[in-house]
Amino acid sequence: MAGNKIHSAKKRRFINNTIVHVILGILAVIWVFPIIWVILTSFRAEKGSYVSTFFPQSFTLDNYAKLFTDTSILNFPQMFMNTLFIAICSCILSTFYVLAVSYCLSRLRFKMRKPYMNMAMILGLFPGFMSMIAVYFILKALGMTEGNLIKLALILVYSGGAALTFQIAKGFFDTIPAAVDEAAILDGCTRWQIFTKITLPLSKPIVIYTVLTSFMSPWLDFIFAKVICRANADQYTIAIGLWRMLEKEYIDSWYTSFAAGAVLISIPIAALFLYMQRYYVDGLSGAVKG
Amino acid sequence: MRRKAVSVLLAGAMTLGLAAAGLTGCGSTGGGKESIRLMVWSPQNDQSKDNGEWLQTMCETFADEHPEWDITFVYGIADEAGAAGTVSQDAEASADVFMYANDTLTTMTDANALAKFGGKYREQIESMNSEAVLDSLIMDGELYGVPFTTNTWFMYYDKSVYTEEDVKSLDTMLEKGVVSFPFVNSWYLPAFYIGNGCTLFGDGTDESAGVDFGGQKAADVTNYLIDLESNPNFRIDDLGSGIAGLRDGSINAMFSGSWDANSVREALGDNMGVAALPTFTLNGEEKQMMSYAGSKAIGVNPNTENMVAAVELAVFLGSPDAQRAHYEMCGTIPSCTELMEDPKIGSDPVVMAQNETFLHTSILQPFVSKMNNCWVPVENMGKGIRNGSITHDNAVDQTEQMNKAMNSDGI
Repeated sequence: MAGNKIHSAKKRRFINNTIVHVILGILAVIWVFPIIWVILTSFRAEKGSYVSTFFPQSFTLDNYAKLFTDTSILNFPQMFMNTLFIAICSCILSTFYVLAVSYCLSRLRFKMRKPYMNMAMILGLFPGFMSMIAVYFILKALGMTEGNLIKLALILVYSGGAALTFQIAKGFFDTIPAAVDEAAILDGCTRWQIFTKITLPLSKPIVIYTVLTSFMSPWLDFIFAKVICRANADQYTIAIGLWRMLEKEYIDSWYTSFAAGAVLISIPIAALFLYMQRYYVDGLSGAVKG
Repeated sequence: MRRKAVSVLLAGAMTLGLAAAGLTGCGSTGGGKESIRLMVWSPQNDQSKDNGEWLQTMCETFADEHPEWDITFVYGIADEAGAAGTVSQDAEASADVFMYANDTLTTMTDANALAKFGGKYREQIESMNSEAVLDSLIMDGELYGVPFTTNTWFMYYDKSVYTEEDVKSLDTMLEKGVVSFPFVNSWYLPAFYIGNGCTLFGDGTDESAGVDFGGQKAADVTNYLIDLESNPNFRIDDLGSGIAGLRDGSINAMFSGSWDANSVREALGDNMGVAALPTFTLNGEEKQMMSYAGSKAIGVNPNTENMVAAVELAVFLGSPDAQRAHYEMCGTIPSCTELMEDPKIGSDPVVMAQNETFLHTSILQPFVSKMNNCWVPVENMGKGIRNGSITHDNAVDQTEQMNKAMNSDGI
C-alpha cells in the first residue's frame, strides 16, 4: 500500500514535470524563433525581403562583408563607431549619475530629499520623447546640432535624464545596513570613501545592472538620434542606418545586410552582458560579517 | 553697413525674378568675389561614390559657371519623402537647396519652408517641363520647385509569358499567368476606384469638393476587388513577395516603380517587360486603371541667406544637362520634355513606361492637407477583403464607410 503510494506520487511528479517541460520547451522555441530567423536571414544568399522558405536555400557571408565594404550608400562602420563612442561615453556618465544620486537619496538626509523624489517620480511618468523638439531647439541654441558636436549633444541627451531613474539602485542601497556606514565613519571614512570603498563593492549586481541599462538605451535609441542628426549623415547612429536600409529604394538589396547588421549590433551588448554576468552574484555574500 | 548694402543689392536683384520674403544678404566681398555658403540636401544615392557623386559633380560645375561667387558647399542627406519632415522641423537650420516629393508640398508651405519661383526663373522652368509635371508643383498659381523626375508606379511583366498585346488588359493577364498587385497598400489600391470614376477633391486641388469614393460606382469596384482577390491567378504583393515571386518564377507580373527596376532586371534578364497600367473589365465595360502620380522637385528654403545663388543652383540642378547626368549616373528618370526625345533615354523601356503612365494612366496625386485622411481607410478596405471580413454581402455598406472615413478628419 505504502509502496504503491510512493510509486503513484513519483509517477504524478513525473507527469507534472513532463507537462511543465513540454510547455517550457514550446515557449522557449517561440521565444527564440525570431532571433534564429534573423540570424538565418543574415546568412541568406538569396536576395530580397521576402522568401517562401524558412530555411535559406544557400548560405553566404557576403551580407556581412557588404556592410563593411559597400560604404558608399550606407556607411555602416562609421555608424557603428559613432554609436559605440556615444554609448560608451553616456554609459559612463549616466552610471555615475544614477549611482551617485541613489547613494545620496539612500544615505543622506536633506530638506529637498522627499520633494526631489516626488518630482522625479512625476517627471518619470512622462515619456522622454515628449520634450524631443524642445531639446532639439535648446541644443541648436547652444550650437550643438552641426558637425561632431552632434555626438556631444547625443551624449548629453542620453545621460542628462539618468538621475531620474534612481529608484532601483536606491532600493538596493537601502538594503545595505546603515551600521556598515556608521562603522566606517567611526574609522574616519568620508562620505565619498564610504561610497567608493564600501557601498559600491557591496552593490555589484546593481552596478552591473545600471551599466547594462545605461549602455543599452543610447545603443538602441532611434527617435532622439533621428531628430538631432537630421541630415548629417556622417553622424548617424546604427539605429538610423538600419532604418534607412528598409526604405523602399534600398530594402530589396539591403534586407539581408539589415539582418546582418541586427546581429552585429547585438554583439557588444551580449559581450558586455557575458563579461559582467559573473558579478551577478549576491553582492552581500561574504562581505558583511555578523 | 556693408552687410546692409549687400542685402539692398541682393533685394534689388531679387525683384527681377523672385517673390520671396524674409531675405537677408550675407557674405563678405573679397577680390570681387562674394563668398557664400550653400547647404544642399539630397538622397544618399545622389552622393554615393558608386554613382559618381552626382550632386557634388553638379555643384562644382555650377560653381565653375559662376565665378562671381566663391561657394562653399555643405552636403547633407535627406531623401525626398522625408525632407519635408526634416525641413519643416526647423526651416532656419535646414538646407538652402533640397529635394522633396510633391505630395509633401503643403507640409512645407505650412511651415514657411518653401520659396516661390517667379519671373525669369519660372519662365525657364516652364520652358523645360511639360504642363502635367508643372501642375504637380503649382499651388494657388504659385510654382514651388524645379521638377527633376516624375514619381509613380507602373507594371513589370515577364515577356516570356505575356505579349505586348496581353499586357493591355488585366483580365487577359490573369488568364495567361500569375499577377501580383500591392492590394493592401493605399498608394496602389485606389487605381481601380479612380478607374471607375471615383474622384478626390474635384480635380485634385479643390479641398472643399471632398472625396467621392462612394455610391454604386465604388461598390461595383469593391465587388470586383473581392472577385479579383479570390482569383487563383492573383497574388497579393506584400512585404516584397512580388519581387521574390518574379525571381523564382511563381509570379509573372507585378506593379511597382522605378526603384525596383534593377532588381526586376536582375530577376528577369532579357524577359523584362515594362508597361503602363492595363485596363480591367467591370460589368462588361473596359476601365483604365489609374495610378497616383507626382513629381520630385528641387526646392529652395525661403530662409536662405543667399537667395539668388540658391535659386540659380536649384534651376541648374533641374536643367536638362543635370537631368541627363542624373539619369546616366544614378538612373533617375528625367522629367524634362527635351530629354524624352533623346534617342538614348527614349529607348529605355522603364523611362517610357513611367512617362506613359504619368501622361496617360494616372491622376495627379492630390496634395491638399485633407489627402492625409485618405490613406488608412483604403488600406483597411484592402486588408478587409484579404482577411475575408468584406464580402459581396456587405460590400455596399463597407464602401460607404470607407468613403465616410476618407471625408472625415477623425482617425
